[in-house]
Amino acid sequence: MVKFGVEFVPKEAFWKTVYYAIQSEKRGFDNLWITDHYNNRNVYVTLTATAMYTKKIILGPGVTNPFLINPIMTTQSLASLDELAPGRVVLGMGAGDTTTLASTGVEAKKRLSAVVDAIAIFKAMLEGNSVNYKGNVFRVTGTRFNFKPRGQIPVYIGAQGPKMLATAGKIGDGVLINASHPKDMNYAVGQIKKGVNEAGKNMSDVDVTAYTSFSVHKKPEKASKAASPVVAFIVAGSPNVILERHGLDLVKADTIRGALKNGDFGTAFSSVTPDMIEAFSIAGTPDMCNQKITRLLKSGITQFVVGSPIGPNVRKSIDLISEQVIPHFKD
Amino acid sequence: MRCNVVVYKKIVKMIPVEKRGTLSDKLLNYLLKSKKEAKLPISMAYCFLSQSQIGTFKDEVGLAVLLEATALLEPKKTTEFLEQEMQLAEVAKAIKKAVA
Repeated sequence: MVKFGVEFVPKEAFWKTVYYAIQSEKRGFDNLWITDHYNNRNVYVTLTATAMYTKKIILGPGVTNPFLINPIMTTQSLASLDELAPGRVVLGMGAGDTTTLASTGVEAKKRLSAVVDAIAIFKAMLEGNSVNYKGNVFRVTGTRFNFKPRGQIPVYIGAQGPKMLATAGKIGDGVLINASHPKDMNYAVGQIKKGVNEAGKNMSDVDVTAYTSFSVHKKPEKASKAASPVVAFIVAGSPNVILERHGLDLVKADTIRGALKNGDFGTAFSSVTPDMIEAFSIAGTPDMCNQKITRLLKSGITQFVVGSPIGPNVRKSIDLISEQVIPHFKD
Repeated sequence: MRCNVVVYKKIVKMIPVEKRGTLSDKLLNYLLKSKKEAKLPISMAYCFLSQSQIGTFKDEVGLAVLLEATALLEPKKTTEFLEQEMQLAEVAKAIKKAVA
């Protein structure tokens, strides 16, 4: 049975994010993902507060990256969090958002190797022994904690490109796929399978997660309007090959890119077309969303994450998902 | 965490039970959409979260917590809604007094 996850961006006061987390747990979500960007509230402070107010929901960063946060610190943070919320913690690790990383002055080179190294260090350090590791990007020598971690923590890898997807299938316990359309999802699952086969694993060993841009409201136009800003950023960050895959207007996409670059959000958001919303989000009434989720499930996903914006009113959208979406797939 | 909302519990008693659900829903919207989030004292934030975890915002304690938090962040919206939409002018007056 498909699991349902929810993603929150901790850009508001901690008590709002924690409130939504409590609500999500009560309303039947299985997983909770908190994004990690330096310009928002800290992911681990948010996860700690969230862990203290919830009892069963699985939680973790969705996703952190090894460039801004050294893998040793990521391991330390999650091993500590695992003491606070035993057995409820997962790691979401990706290569990071290049635009955000660039603004910090951090060079994100050898992105695939960095993720592979980070996960190797993470797994080794969770064993509680002294770790020596020499990777292409990260090296540690005799590194160990002064405490014994509780044990291994499932690793999810945020992936989009073919190599990262295959690697995620090979070494991950789960894959977080930033996609909302079956075309992208089918492609992603195909790449993951290559890695799974290479590692001699089964697809059932990997939690294939659709990490979607989601927006639900009883009125479809309100759901679409709420999704537009997120979709604008997705369009701007997508290579043309992806836009062409969906038959999207490249000129319009350039308009959005230019407007976002100049901080003209009004032009950027109003340039988002219904086709773009269809390609890069799941937006609409609960019934419309259910149809789109059903199509995605055929790709072989095992977890469905409702990501930003969730809806024009987050609290009411969580209630709507709980009442009219989750039961459609779980009952 | 035990929430000390004695004053607001008295105010809640002035609100008819059948109106509490609608009021609770509106106040939650005001609170969660408020841009004045830094105005909420940390003790009140913990109180709000504890209530979210263990109960609802429609019972006496829950609504008292919600009223106090919303009155701190959005006093004008809160009292206007009570006066104009809920026809609870006396409740609005009591909140204005509590906030002052």
